[in-house]
Amino acid sequence: MNRAQVIEELRRIVGERGVVDQPDALMTYDADGCVMDIHAPHVVVLPTTTAQVAGVVKVAIRAGMPIVPRGAGTGLSGGATPMQGGIVISTSRMDKILEVDTRNNRVRVQPGVINFELSQYLKPYGYQFAPDPSSQRACTVGGNIANNSGGPHCLKYGVTASHVLGVQVVLPNGEVIWTGDGVSHMSGYDLTGVLTGSEGTIGLVTEAWLRLTRLPEQTRVVLALFPDIAGASATVSSVIASGLLPAALEMMDKLAIKAVNDMYKLGLPESAGAALLIEVDGVEDGLDEVLAEITEVCRSYGAIEVRPARTPAEQNQVWAARKNAFGAMGRLAPTYYLVDTVVPRTRLPHTLEEVGRISREYKLPIANVFHAGDGNLHPLILFNRRDASQNQRALEAGTAVMQVSIDQGGVISGEHGIGVEKQDFMTLLFSTEDLAAMAGLHQSFDPYDLFNPGKVFPKGRGCGELAALRAKGVEWSELKERGKLWL
Amino acid sequence: MMIEQNELLQQLSTQLGPEQILSTPEACANFRIGEQVPQLVVSPASQEELSYVMALAYAAQAKVVAWGAGTKQSWGNPPQQVDLVVRTDGLKRVLVYEPDDLTISVEAGMTLGELDDLLAKHGQMLPLDGPLPRRATIGGLLATFMDGPRRLGYGTARDLLIGISVVEATGRISKAGGMVVKNVSGFDMMKLYLGSLGTLAVIASANFKLIPRPRAAATVWCGFERSEQANAFVDAIHASQLLPVAVEYLSGAEQARGLKAVAVCAEGLPAAVERHVRDLPNLARASGVHSLEVLRDAEHTAFWAGVNDLPQTAQVADDEVVLRLICLPSEMGAALIACEELRDQLAALTIDARALNGVAYLRLRGEGEQLKRAYAQLTAALGQRAPSARLNALAGQARGQLPVWGRAPEGIDVMQRIKDEFDPQAILNPGRLADTLMR
Ligand SMILES: Cc1cc2nc3c(=O)[nH]c(=O)nc-3n(C[C@H](O)[C@H](O)[C@H](O)COP(=O)(O)OP(=O)(O)OC[C@H]3O[C@@H](n4cnc5c(N)ncnc54)[C@H](O)[C@@H]3O)c2cc1C
Repeated sequence: MNRAQVIEELRRIVGERGVVDQPDALMTYDADGCVMDIHAPHVVVLPTTTAQVAGVVKVAIRAGMPIVPRGAGTGLSGGATPMQGGIVISTSRMDKILEVDTRNNRVRVQPGVINFELSQYLKPYGYQFAPDPSSQRACTVGGNIANNSGGPHCLKYGVTASHVLGVQVVLPNGEVIWTGDGVSHMSGYDLTGVLTGSEGTIGLVTEAWLRLTRLPEQTRVVLALFPDIAGASATVSSVIASGLLPAALEMMDKLAIKAVNDMYKLGLPESAGAALLIEVDGVEDGLDEVLAEITEVCRSYGAIEVRPARTPAEQNQVWAARKNAFGAMGRLAPTYYLVDTVVPRTRLPHTLEEVGRISREYKLPIANVFHAGDGNLHPLILFNRRDASQNQRALEAGTAVMQVSIDQGGVISGEHGIGVEKQDFMTLLFSTEDLAAMAGLHQSFDPYDLFNPGKVFPKGRGCGELAALRAKGVEWSELKERGKLWL
Repeated sequence: MMIEQNELLQQLSTQLGPEQILSTPEACANFRIGEQVPQLVVSPASQEELSYVMALAYAAQAKVVAWGAGTKQSWGNPPQQVDLVVRTDGLKRVLVYEPDDLTISVEAGMTLGELDDLLAKHGQMLPLDGPLPRRATIGGLLATFMDGPRRLGYGTARDLLIGISVVEATGRISKAGGMVVKNVSGFDMMKLYLGSLGTLAVIASANFKLIPRPRAAATVWCGFERSEQANAFVDAIHASQLLPVAVEYLSGAEQARGLKAVAVCAEGLPAAVERHVRDLPNLARASGVHSLEVLRDAEHTAFWAGVNDLPQTAQVADDEVVLRLICLPSEMGAALIACEELRDQLAALTIDARALNGVAYLRLRGEGEQLKRAYAQLTAALGQRAPSARLNALAGQARGQLPVWGRAPEGIDVMQRIKDEFDPQAILNPGRLADTLMR
């Protein structure tokens, strides 16, 4: 099939308005929130139904063109960037909330529903969809599922994977299946579990049953200010170890405070070297005691001030500052490179020191705004894209942060995914055997690399090749070799 | 097996000591699964030894069953053939434990009880309840994806397992996840192995997210005369703002004291627990409660230990089957009433339902024909009144005549491709998932 034929077929399936093929229009689909890698698609389709998606996939199979699923494009690892061109399937017109079933704590949605709009919709029922990425006003639940996204409240409520009961997916062979509907202990393998977090490489989510979480009876928020980041991160470790289990525990450092102060008029003292945003929730009974205890821990690690946000309006203001902190970085530098890594929580103080060292070494300012309670770092390396040397140093500093995190027993992504950005760092964390097992899973779904090809796995290591490694047994000679090693 | 038992035995003996290998028919008979008695039973003492054993078995095309304590070997279909049982009793080490990180990595053969003893010393817990914790192993708990009463408050292994290391059919060791509580570095292989009943790989070690032990805990035990009243109480709890960690419907068990009981467990801060102790009785009274009691301390602990063991499948009477009923929580009330209707025609019936999770474990006693009739009646009633319900037959001699897995899920083709990819020679627990999978 040539391009014109493909486009004609696609028009037949999704209608005139559902196909984008003008070169300028295609440019808007050439990247996600990670602008390091850019590539335009051949064509974009905007289906409204599962049947249309399945139809498009069948065309792609015949044309041998890759499919790249796309939600809102807020991803930060290049996951929705069509690195090899092909057909981008945007879910922006699949944005219906289909069924709320509070008795079974579940809601059925199309993938293009915006995370924040879902939670707003659920509020009158007394429920929420717990995952709340800071990008929630823009990102889609399909993107959340594909990236197994996190958010401030995942500290208590768990990441997206804990909130997906079942998905309807179009598989790379065009088949449509439902992996579950909220009944626990279905027989066979947990396809819902493996599809969640698979970054659009093995299935395209066209509908989902999501778990509803009861809105808490009460919420308390405090903002604790520290002279330096060391005291704040020691507080985090201590609060976690004490078993007080906050709903959220977020940190901002001096640079970040400066940025949000200017923008949100929080009136925080410029002398503050770090701020912790702490939220506790649950039944009202006992909440004040928990807060008092947490305040005590903050003070014992040198907090200069612990400010309660009493009214919902005050709480919203503090949270808005946190959730929009990345946006406020524009006040400090033209561009930032956000590095998402995780370390065991006791390693936070040391890791943050290392991030400071990296900032000095590469001569670039680094702001920190992150999910401290989970040990999930987000150093924001500030630089100017137009300056080639700064560009290069930003990339190198990012790599250094990943290496430090791994050295501290951590991993290379806590919530933003591997995508293109981190694919070549997978080998820092995983052995060939580990990657081969993942490739085996991938091949079971997508043997021809049709969905989102060239992502997650290291460049140049085809999934097929990796998976083939697994099929080979361990050689007898190799075993004898190993035997010798032990003796 | 492609090669003789002797040859495999010889190869194993080059690396494993004689105390690690059982080869006599008498010794192997203790590891019988259904009709199948293995020819060899081995206990590797490290992940490397496990890898070695698996590689040899692969080369010999021996059919392999992983074995923790054997308490749930009756789950699923009995394997069509068992040549080699690989025990995990030599894999009991703690690999990493930094208490202040609230994470731990342990080998698969550690028992739930051993793990809990260790964590208790540090005021922490892994809130995965499983029957017979003094015997059942971590590996077995994960492979069967067994749940416990407190899944309502703390989730299941899906939510708490953060990393895994397995030995694949070929002997290759692979791992996924890590020692951090949040991680999207690569595919979530943990989910793949969870509940796969040893058909994809042998779990060698597992990493978990831990929870601080609660500062306070109490049980509000409510006995009702009729299931309808008990169900109304469960509905009222669901509609309230309360956050109990377990809501268990019990009937026919000692813990139900001749009534339809709903036991509610609250854990956490003292004030929050007292709130539950205060509010739950009001909800229970509104539903017509017959008797009510608050259990604390040793009584509370002993009560839940007993409830925990109700679904156990290690000791099943000759005239007994253990079933698992799953359904949407909204249909649990109707399903429980359908179950209760069987009581008169059976010698005994025990029901233990995680009422708000849509999971119930049933123990049915009676002679063969009685059991078969009861099963047929239950299936018909569920079809009418709780259409989302499915029954799994977990244990018991009469079980052979019942469908083990119930209705098949969607996505069987892709599951079969996963099985073929991970176990191309079909040597791991062959047939265990039959009637869901082909091999
Ligand atoms: C300012 C800012 C703050 C952020 N904060 C957070 C945060 O706190 N926590 C967090 O986890 N992330 C955060 N992110 C990252 C990002 O917003 C999330 O990963 C989000 O879930 C992506 O959703 P999206 O709809 O934009 O997906 P996209 O970027 O469009 O796609 C993301 C991935 O999902 C795939 N995909 C999309 N839809 C589907 C589908 N229906 N089926 C299959 N695959 C699909 C794509 O192919 C791609 O691989 C932030 C991003 C920004 C810009």
